Amino acid sequence: MLYFTLASKAYARNLQYRGAHMVHNVASAMFGFMYACIWLGLGADYALGDYGTQGMVGYIAFTQAALWVSSFVTNGLGIPQAVRTGHISLDLMRPVHLFSHLMAKEWGQIAYQFVYKSIPIYLVYYVAFSLQLPGKAVTFLYVAIALAGAAYLSICINYLIGASALWTTESSWLYWGNHAMINLLAGFFIPIEWLPGWLQTIAWWSPYPYLLYVPTRIYLGFDDVSHLWGTLSWCVLLTLASLLATGFLRRKVEVQGG
Amino acid sequence: MTVRSWLSLYALLIRTSIKSRMQYKFNFILASFLAALIQISEFLMVAIVLYKFGAIQGWSMHEIGYLFAVMTLSKTLYRTLADEVHHLERYLVNGELDQLLTRPMPVLLALMPQKFRIMLGEVLQGGFLLWWSLHGMMAAGQVGWSAVPQSLYIIVTGAVILFSIGLATATFGFWTTRITELQNLTEDAARTAAQYPLTLYPKWMSSILLIVVPVGLVNYVPSLYILRGELGAWVLPALAGAALLCLILSLKFWQFGLTKYQSTGS
Repeated sequence: MLYFTLASKAYARNLQYRGAHMVHNVASAMFGFMYACIWLGLGADYALGDYGTQGMVGYIAFTQAALWVSSFVTNGLGIPQAVRTGHISLDLMRPVHLFSHLMAKEWGQIAYQFVYKSIPIYLVYYVAFSLQLPGKAVTFLYVAIALAGAAYLSICINYLIGASALWTTESSWLYWGNHAMINLLAGFFIPIEWLPGWLQTIAWWSPYPYLLYVPTRIYLGFDDVSHLWGTLSWCVLLTLASLLATGFLRRKVEVQGG
Repeated sequence: MTVRSWLSLYALLIRTSIKSRMQYKFNFILASFLAALIQISEFLMVAIVLYKFGAIQGWSMHEIGYLFAVMTLSKTLYRTLADEVHHLERYLVNGELDQLLTRPMPVLLALMPQKFRIMLGEVLQGGFLLWWSLHGMMAAGQVGWSAVPQSLYIIVTGAVILFSIGLATATFGFWTTRITELQNLTEDAARTAAQYPLTLYPKWMSSILLIVVPVGLVNYVPSLYILRGELGAWVLPALAGAALLCLILSLKFWQFGLTKYQSTGS
C-alpha cells in the first residue's frame, strides 16, 4: 500500500505539468517525424527488408512512443540530486529499502508518461502516417508484458547509474552514455538485424534490445514472443545487481550538502 | 576597456576554468570517455545506414560523411567556447545568474568561460571523418585542394550560426525559465536532421531548417557548392553574411531578454 501511495503521488505531481508536457510532445513528435522521413526517403530507393517502407514508419512510430516507458526515466532515479543535497542520508535511514522506495516512485512517473506522452505521441503518428493496429488481442497482452519488463529494466539501469553518483560527480554522463547505447543497441532508429555482425553480438549480450526492439517487434506482429524470456532473465540479473550496489552504497555514503 | 583586454580576460577565465576541472581527474577522464562513446554511437547510427544502403538520395558515403564531419566540428567549436550558453537553464533555476549580473562585464562574457569544455574526442573524430571524406573525394577527382580551406571556413561560419541558434534558444529562458524542451527541438533535433541531405524531408520542413532554425546553412548549403559545384562561389561570402546576421539578431534578442530577467533563486 505504501508503494502504491508513493507511485500515485509521483503520478499526481506530474499532472501539474500536463501543459508543458504537451508542448514537449510536439518536440518529441517532430523528432520521430524526422526519423520517419529518413526511412521514407530511403524506402523510395531501396527495399527495407522484412518491414517495407510503411512497416519501417510503423517501427519508428512505436519506438518513439515506447521511449517514454523504457528510456526517459528520471536521471539516476534522482539519486545524484539526493547526493548533492545530502538528502541521500535521510533516504537511507527510512524503514523502506532504497531500491523499492525509488522504484515505486518511478513506476508512478512511468505510468504518467505512458498516459500523457506515449499514447498522445503514438496517436499523432497513427493519424499522420495512417498506421495499423495489431490484429490479434493477444498481441496487446504480450506487448504490455514486454513494455513492463522494459520499464523495469530501465529503472534498474538508472538505479545503478544513480548509485555511481556516490563515487563520481559526473554521473550525468553515464545517463547520457546510457541514452547513446539505447540509440544504437536498442533498435531505436535502426533495427538490430541491420547492424554489422559484431555490433549485433554486443547488442544481444546486453539488456538493450529488450528495451525497445523486442516490444516493437512483438507489436508489429513478428513472432518474437520467446524473447520475453530474455527480458525476464535480465530483470532478475539487474535486480541482483541493484541490491548488491545498495550494499556498497551504504558503506560509501558521505554527507556533502548543507 | 578595449577589445584586447576583454580577450585577455577571457583567456584568463578559461585557464582558471581548466585548472579547476583538473582538480577532479577521475571525473574528467570519465566524462571524456563517455562523451567520446556518445559521439561514436551518434556517428555509427549514420554510418550503419550508409553501410547498409550505400548512398542516400544520391549523396555518396563520402559526401554524407562530410556533412556529418562539418556539423560535428562546428558544434564542437561552439560548445568548446560557449558551453554554458547551452546550460543557461541551471543559472536561471538556481539564481546563479544574479552573481554574473553583478560582475563589471557583459553577462555573456562572464557566462561563456564559466566552464571551458575540452572536447578532444569530438575534435579527433570530426577531424578524422573530415580527412577521410575529403581524401576519398579527392582521390575520385570530385574536389581539389581548395576544398580544405573552404571546409575550415564553413566550420567557423557554422559554429557562429550554431552559437546564434543556441543563444536565441537560451534567451527564451528569460520568459520560460525551463529551456530543455525547446533546446531539444532547435538544437538537437535540428542538428540531427542536418546530418542528412535536406532533400529527404518535405518542403516545409527543409524550409524551416534553412530559414527559421538555419542549421542547413552550417553544412548542407555550403556542401552543395564545395562538393557538387552547384549554386556558385557567391555562397561562401553569403554564408559569412548570414552567420553575421544570425549573430547580430541573436545578440539583440539576448540583450532584450536580459532586461526581462526575473530572479528565481533562493
